[in-house]
Amino acid sequence: MNRRKFLAFLGTAGVTSAISTARVAEAAPHTFPYYENSFGVLHDVTRCIGCRRCEAACQEVNHLPMPDKPFTDLAVTETRRRTTAYAWTVVNKYEVNGQPFFRKLQCYHCNDPACAAACFAKCFQKLPNGAVVYDGSQCVGCRYCMVACPFYVPGFQYDLAWDPLVQKCTFCEKRLKEGKLPGCVEACPVDAITFGKRSDLIKIARARIAANPEKYVDYVYGETDAGGTAWMVLAPRAGAVENPPDDLAVTGSEFSQLGMDTHLGTQPMSEYTYGALGAVPMIVAFWPVVFGGAYAITKRREAMNKAAMEKVKQKAKDGIVEAIDAAVRKIEETEGPGAADRARKAMTEALKDHEQKDSGHGEE
Amino acid sequence: MRKGTILLLLAAMAFAGVTCLSALGYASPQTNTLEPTDSGAPSAIVMFPLGEKPNPEASAMAPVAFNHLIHEKWMGKAGKDCIVCHHTGDPVACATCHTVQGSAEGGFVTLYTAMHAQKVAPRKEGTPASCVSCHNKQLANRNCAGCHKTLVKDKKVQNEAWCVVCHTKTPEMTKKQMEAGIAGKLPARQNEALAVKTALARKQADYWSPMKGPYKVVINELQGKYEPCVFNHRHHVASLMERIKDNKLAGAFHTDPATLCVTCHHNSPASVNPPKCVSCHSKTINPAEPDRPSLLAAYHLQCMSCHADMKVARPQKTDCTTCHKLRVQEGGK
Amino acid sequence: MENHGIIIPTKDKLFNLEPLLTKTPGNIITWIILAIGLFITIIRFTVGIGSVTNLTDYQPWGLWIGFDLLCGVCLAAGGYFTTVGVYVMGMHFHSAVRPAVTTAFLGYAFVVVALLYDLGHPLRLPFMFFFPGTTSVLFEVGLCVATYLTVLFIEFSVAPMEWLSQKFPWLLWCRKWVIRVTILLTIFGVTLSTLHQSSLGSLYLIAPEKLHPLWYSPFMPMFFFVSSMAAGASMVIFEGFFAHKGVHNYMDETHLREADSVVLAFSRAASFILFAYFMLKFIDVLVQANLHLVFTSWGAWWCVEMFIFVLLPAMLYAKGARDGNVRLCQYTSMLTVAGIVLNRFNVSMIAFNWQLPSADRYFPSIWEIMISIFVVTMIVTVYRFIVYNMPVLYQHPDFSEEEE
Repeated sequence: MNRRKFLAFLGTAGVTSAISTARVAEAAPHTFPYYENSFGVLHDVTRCIGCRRCEAACQEVNHLPMPDKPFTDLAVTETRRRTTAYAWTVVNKYEVNGQPFFRKLQCYHCNDPACAAACFAKCFQKLPNGAVVYDGSQCVGCRYCMVACPFYVPGFQYDLAWDPLVQKCTFCEKRLKEGKLPGCVEACPVDAITFGKRSDLIKIARARIAANPEKYVDYVYGETDAGGTAWMVLAPRAGAVENPPDDLAVTGSEFSQLGMDTHLGTQPMSEYTYGALGAVPMIVAFWPVVFGGAYAITKRREAMNKAAMEKVKQKAKDGIVEAIDAAVRKIEETEGPGAADRARKAMTEALKDHEQKDSGHGEE
Repeated sequence: MRKGTILLLLAAMAFAGVTCLSALGYASPQTNTLEPTDSGAPSAIVMFPLGEKPNPEASAMAPVAFNHLIHEKWMGKAGKDCIVCHHTGDPVACATCHTVQGSAEGGFVTLYTAMHAQKVAPRKEGTPASCVSCHNKQLANRNCAGCHKTLVKDKKVQNEAWCVVCHTKTPEMTKKQMEAGIAGKLPARQNEALAVKTALARKQADYWSPMKGPYKVVINELQGKYEPCVFNHRHHVASLMERIKDNKLAGAFHTDPATLCVTCHHNSPASVNPPKCVSCHSKTINPAEPDRPSLLAAYHLQCMSCHADMKVARPQKTDCTTCHKLRVQEGGK
Repeated sequence: MENHGIIIPTKDKLFNLEPLLTKTPGNIITWIILAIGLFITIIRFTVGIGSVTNLTDYQPWGLWIGFDLLCGVCLAAGGYFTTVGVYVMGMHFHSAVRPAVTTAFLGYAFVVVALLYDLGHPLRLPFMFFFPGTTSVLFEVGLCVATYLTVLFIEFSVAPMEWLSQKFPWLLWCRKWVIRVTILLTIFGVTLSTLHQSSLGSLYLIAPEKLHPLWYSPFMPMFFFVSSMAAGASMVIFEGFFAHKGVHNYMDETHLREADSVVLAFSRAASFILFAYFMLKFIDVLVQANLHLVFTSWGAWWCVEMFIFVLLPAMLYAKGARDGNVRLCQYTSMLTVAGIVLNRFNVSMIAFNWQLPSADRYFPSIWEIMISIFVVTMIVTVYRFIVYNMPVLYQHPDFSEEEE
């Protein structure tokens, strides 16, 4: 079940009459692979030289504050840095099969982004041009997007009191609209990040792998990972050919050595929640029935118990009355009607007293 | 007086004869034969495209004249023996087992594959070599890798001209001889004579001199943060020539005088005045053609990949200012 | 009826604030905590979240979500658990309903309060209704919590209405209507509780790569829901235990008489639920082929949670309920509550981001812990205020004849 189907289902279940039914109606009932003409970027790790020009360009075009250490200081790539609210892309150094390589990290711009699925105020949007953009004007600041992002990309402005927002790479969405390239792509001196249509990039990636099977791992990271991403990565084989590992399971660990998660699976992260969300209408529909039924059963059982109790009581009462009658008759036979009347009166009074006492107990 | 004239004439004739003789001798000091091999195999063999089907027109592709002597010598120098090529241990022709269609004796490896496999998967009991796989290995030499690491993969380069380097025959070979060869009926002595002729006819190309190109090239299309790069073109060409000066393999295969130019000046016909890089590599990449690097990337990729493959230690990849000086800040970015 | 010292507010003296204002050690500690909390609150809202928390981009959700939200909601499950038990299943513990509903209402109300600390834009919280992200689990949580808070408010409102009706007699009319729809509210409440208790677990479904596989499961929503039932039962026992210590003299005879049987009945229920929970978790480990992970160091920690904080209380509850040992049941409830908190901590903080190097891992700052303590103290204080003024632990004499 995909998201749109689920939404449609939610709509028909009538559960969400209050919540954006108009949008549900718009949604087409088919699986959403990705926008056909969307753009992407292919990051070729074998080409990257770790010059940090992309970082500098990102800072410049997005008017982000300059870091303490200048971008010419390449030693910082040795530390394990991540993207933050004030650094939307970072290049780090990794050892792959003993050789140094550099990998750039930024928002991967997923085809079906986890952040967008996680946001409960609709701040994130996957645009037809491929960019996943964020509009902070309705952000509540819950940071669930950061929990959801499988790539640890969004950063939060923890230092701000008044308007703290989530920040991440925008794919230079504004520049794309102006017909310009993303800042980092433009700045890269070795074309380690190639900009183009996502569908073309996949072909290019495959062609590069085919032309240089010793150079590349035969895998395009991001083609299907986490449901597919706009930014994709080619990893170097780096010496694995000369000394192929004995254990076949180890091959392909180059991506892990580059610090990338190779176990994200091929479905969008949001799909992991669909089962749970799909159960919502079920619970809404069936719980009242189940508990209403339980309530009815309880009520009926109580009523039946009460009736049975009364029957027993009545029976006992009837028995006593009969016994009194028999006793009075006997007294009448032996001692005459006067004594019998007195006896009846006494016994009836005693019975009344007893009943009163009984009911008094019962009340408490 | 008459005597003097005759003497002069004789002297001139003698001089001319000596000159002619010595000129001929100078051109081919080894005469027209190859020395015999140590193993006793023919010094050179013409390998015909053998086929079960008759080929009366002899219109098949040109046979290969294999210089057995030079290969045997090289193997000896490299400390290897016959088994590298004659992998069964029997010094027989490849076509004995590897037929055109493939056969059980040849493990269904066709003759074409046996010769042209780009790479032979490693085997436990000795990995045999095909012509191409062994030659490919030689290209990993740092003096060759700068061009060949990119070129060998390039399908555009592996065109007909590429085939002809090996598949060539001396014009002296008659149609009859060719037919007999294809049928496997050419006498061994004739075969060797033809092969030797073909092999000896092979000449190293006369490379275009570094002086033909510019001395220095100022790359100034992209100056911004940095000053223009002054590229010492002559030094780079001279360096390439120096590196392959005594390499017989390079000499045998570099048949085109423009050979040393075409890796950098790629994708256009070889010329003394090749197009500038910017004529194809635009300053910003065209999203419709994403795999063509931008001008900036084209320069860097070209320089860096060659320097890396040829293991040129300096400059380091991120040492920007060695090639182009940092521009003095004056309101620039 | 004898009320042994219950001060019932009258029209002239509506407020009974003395017990909160006298200088007892408990009150003094309360005032200090509230003052510190207020101070941190000012810092939090003027300097930013980063100034008082250890939250990072790797760990955007810390103690305020892990404890205040996850544990807060879970431990307030006593509300739906008791109302369903009494009104739907017909258990005869009417005196247990009001305290449970009161604590549940307070629990949820202060979950929202604590959430305001954690949100970057607390004032924009209602935006989720204006721009509903229907694909978000958090939206489901928010919607259900908001609705359920309203339901709880209505359910709870009977007590303040009885209290204030002397001054505002029209409240009697409202009260009558609320009591008429009790069963509807109860069923609505349990539906909403099922949804959001489980969806607190669903929150983490979207991050399978970040949560350790022993805790991550497609069935997390079910685990959260089932454990919330155990938490609800245990919290009723737990709160009852402390209420008897602190506000014993505000309990009427009925309440005191029923208290022990409530403890035993809820212990029996909690025992069953905890056993079921243990089996569910164990089967889940088998089904997901994670058994080998049990024998790792993370597995040892998992075993601590499962054996000491789930299986052990299940058995202690069973024994306590069989032997009629109220004291044992009460101690077990503390163990269970601790176990639930541990579970929520594991999912939200300890086993979350387990693959990251320890330098990138999270430990709450002293200020975060202080705010959590501050919130709990606020709950206790408001609870005391309610108990001192409203008929929660006793039946109001004006309304005692009515059958509920």
